[in-house]
Amino acid sequence: MALLVWGTLVGVDLVSLPQMMIARPIVAGTVTGAILGDIPTGLKLGLMFELLQYDILPVGAVRYPEYGPATVAAVATAHASAGVLGLGLGALVGLVTAMVGGVTINELRRLNSRIVHAATSTLESGDPRALMRLHVGGVLRDALRAALVTAFGLFLAWLARPLLAGPLSARDAIVLAVAAVASALAAGAAGTLRLVGKGPKLGWFAAGLGGGLLVAVWLR
Amino acid sequence: MKQGLGRALLRLFAVQGSYNYERMLGLGVGVAEEPLLRDLDDGKYRPAVARGAHFFNAHPYLVGLAVGAAARAEHEGTPPDQIERLREALCGPLGSLGDRLVWAGWLPFLSGSALVAVALAAGWGAVAAFLIVYNIGHVALRWWALHAGWTHGIRVSTALHHPVLHKATALLGPAMAFAVGLALPLSARYLAAPFPRWGQLGAVVTAGVAFLLLRWRGDRLSGLRVALGLAAVALVVGWVWP
Repeated sequence: MALLVWGTLVGVDLVSLPQMMIARPIVAGTVTGAILGDIPTGLKLGLMFELLQYDILPVGAVRYPEYGPATVAAVATAHASAGVLGLGLGALVGLVTAMVGGVTINELRRLNSRIVHAATSTLESGDPRALMRLHVGGVLRDALRAALVTAFGLFLAWLARPLLAGPLSARDAIVLAVAAVASALAAGAAGTLRLVGKGPKLGWFAAGLGGGLLVAVWLR
Repeated sequence: MKQGLGRALLRLFAVQGSYNYERMLGLGVGVAEEPLLRDLDDGKYRPAVARGAHFFNAHPYLVGLAVGAAARAEHEGTPPDQIERLREALCGPLGSLGDRLVWAGWLPFLSGSALVAVALAAGWGAVAAFLIVYNIGHVALRWWALHAGWTHGIRVSTALHHPVLHKATALLGPAMAFAVGLALPLSARYLAAPFPRWGQLGAVVTAGVAFLLLRWRGDRLSGLRVALGLAAVALVVGWVWP
């Protein structure tokens, strides 16, 4: 129940209210880990989905996957399955949930459009109560949407263990986790390069990358 | 009016609550502007509320500029068509500035810094610091935008030339690039730590191939699609590999 409430808050934060970035996977994952008493797993999945989030620039009416509730579901999955198996299974559940979440955001906006279109004459009358009613309705619909997406993700998390954890060998689990980590790194790098462009920022990106490589080698 | 500005600020946090493809943020803007219009005469109040809810799209943190400016213009008796033109004229600049300042600057800079800290074992404290520091900037920007809009009214474009905004944008771009660049190898090390040697090598090679795919077909492929595709391939490989 706590995860459902947290996932709903995370889902609402993404667009509707208050955009304080609890919807960022690194935050959503860490708090989910804290709820489950497993912060390290929350941090790990949160970091992985945060890299995937770099692939998204939420400008205009662009469509994008929803990684907040997805991270909640991913951490719930990973917490139930230890080690590398948890990382791979958690990623799989999270990715499917993110895709479904993205579809629901688009559908909600279309539904909102129809409702607003139908209320055009009321809106043009300048009735403040009608305006507030329509707006609050939008927020409540988003909360319901976020709750449904979180519930779907948690249901997948519950299914994943008996359906996938059993048949997967330790090696299969590693292959799945490798695929998830590799795609997160690739998405993070590609998304950041889109933001960086070809100007002087590219030099700063290269400097950061070089510094990170040096620190990573030094820490081995 | 202080109370009106406070109410408007609180409502701005939900400005995207009824986001839709017809009026985009329009309804949220109308709801946020309404407390600032309550002093208007009966004959002016309702038309102003209706205008406030017309189409509007911009960066959510900077919408306050338009809300404050339009409300001020309504109080000053500016002709309705001029207020509509002001709103239209603000959409592009507010969107562009907010995207560069927040979505492509402040947010990825702090997120990248948090990833570096987590990868270097700073734990949940790094995440808490990210949330606190980010929201100090977030709330300050929302308040500044509303206040500047209300102060300048129809001449709000002068606020957009505030030197702090331009300096912050110029600094945050490189800072973001450096922070995320730093975060990528450290995140790779952190995530791949539990893998055996062949798994670590596989992660590096697969990430390279996936990155090239995303660069080559970025118009058709997204990070999510690549990730789902690779996960499916991994499951099939696990199934056929004896």
